[in-house]
Amino acid sequence: MAETPETADQYFERYREIIPDYPAFLEALSQPLPLYFRLNTLKVRDPSPVMEGLSRQGFRVEPVPQVPWFFRVEPREFSLGNTEEYYLGLIYPMTLSSSLPVYALEPRPGELILDLCAAPGSKTTQIAQHTEDQAVIVANDRRLDRITALVANLRRLGIACVVTTVYRGEQYPLEVSFDKVLVDAPCSGEGRYRRGYEGELLFQKEGRTNLSGIQKGLIVRAYDLLKPGGILVYSTCTINPEENEAVVDYLLRKRQAELLDWEAPLPSHPGLTEWAGRPFHPHLVKAKRFYAHEIEAVGFFVAKLRRVA
Amino acid sequence: MKGKNRKKLDPQATWPRLIPEEEREEILRYLENRFGIPPEIFNSYEFLATAKNYWLFVRTPHLRALEKLRIQTAGLLFLRKVSGYLKPTTAALQRFGVYARRGILDLDRYTLDRLRLEKKIPFTCSLEPGYVILRCEGKIWGCGLYLPEKLISYLP
Repeated sequence: MAETPETADQYFERYREIIPDYPAFLEALSQPLPLYFRLNTLKVRDPSPVMEGLSRQGFRVEPVPQVPWFFRVEPREFSLGNTEEYYLGLIYPMTLSSSLPVYALEPRPGELILDLCAAPGSKTTQIAQHTEDQAVIVANDRRLDRITALVANLRRLGIACVVTTVYRGEQYPLEVSFDKVLVDAPCSGEGRYRRGYEGELLFQKEGRTNLSGIQKGLIVRAYDLLKPGGILVYSTCTINPEENEAVVDYLLRKRQAELLDWEAPLPSHPGLTEWAGRPFHPHLVKAKRFYAHEIEAVGFFVAKLRRVA
Repeated sequence: MKGKNRKKLDPQATWPRLIPEEEREEILRYLENRFGIPPEIFNSYEFLATAKNYWLFVRTPHLRALEKLRIQTAGLLFLRKVSGYLKPTTAALQRFGVYARRGILDLDRYTLDRLRLEKKIPFTCSLEPGYVILRCEGKIWGCGLYLPEKLISYLP
């Protein structure tokens, strides 16, 4: 007899103890994900013409006070991809929390930065914007079709500081060492889940892939690509500790890495130091968990590390 | 995307060459003469060249190290060489056209929409024939070619 598919409520029950205000979390799953965009300040500094243009097309646009250059848009069911502002590269639609890994990375002009799993480029383009197009960013993705989408976004936003490469992240060549590496790892996407909307089955579909194994390979290679003292940011959009704390814990056991605290613009909770009876490194409290219902965006996990040796 | 539908890597993909100072000055002179874009806007950038294209890339001491990587693209496709002339890309003009002081064609919404639809329209203006920056309601749309009595769109 065929098994009844697990419902979302049944699935997330395993996280009841770690998700704050669990009933509010379940309630939020019934709402479509809020829609946001980032203003491309490389092309436009004054948001007024963009906001007015989108208003004329039926959008309501409000700035997000905590996160500079981000705007929330209603109705959230509409697509920004068909607007003139998108076509002209004045905006980049992305979820609010997707900005968090770049805040942790603190990119600066002149730095050599690797975005190991870059496509379609939300974080690469955000790094370029933060550094006024003056960092050197190597944006990598293992799939050429995804790099094509990334290059289209770079062109649309007018970014000139990015080199694109197509390597398997776990086998990225070690010939070049970087000041900073961002690993926004492929993950089960639980933080993106909303009932009946995009991402519904993602966490079940990816369930058969050894995501944790892939993530461990990526984080170790990312560390090995750093200059001594270099900064590594590891992030996912999932709640699953096996893809988050367990992966960072793995790196801490394999390499001399140090977890760092960082200032986040959105409310967060400390990383876990124990899951399913298994202890993690006590410094994992410095990692940050962001829950979808508290930040009104995709749930995220972000850890910032430094290469010690 | 799986199996045979997946794009293949280009084994010939190589680093574009860093152009000599003389060639750089030629590009900057063109941008200044045609569009009035001050050369110092590009002080923190290099121009890299492939067979028929120029790419804008941030100036960096890391360039030699980066050449060890097998790349797909480096920087922003900035200019193309077309029949011996330099043609700015729409991406370049959308980003740097804001610094232009001439070679700008202000179109009303109706004319822009018609140009985008028909790609070539009858048109007369006081600009010297050549590549122009298409602007509408204060926003830069990209590159066009003005020839006597016609306007051609290079908008994607």
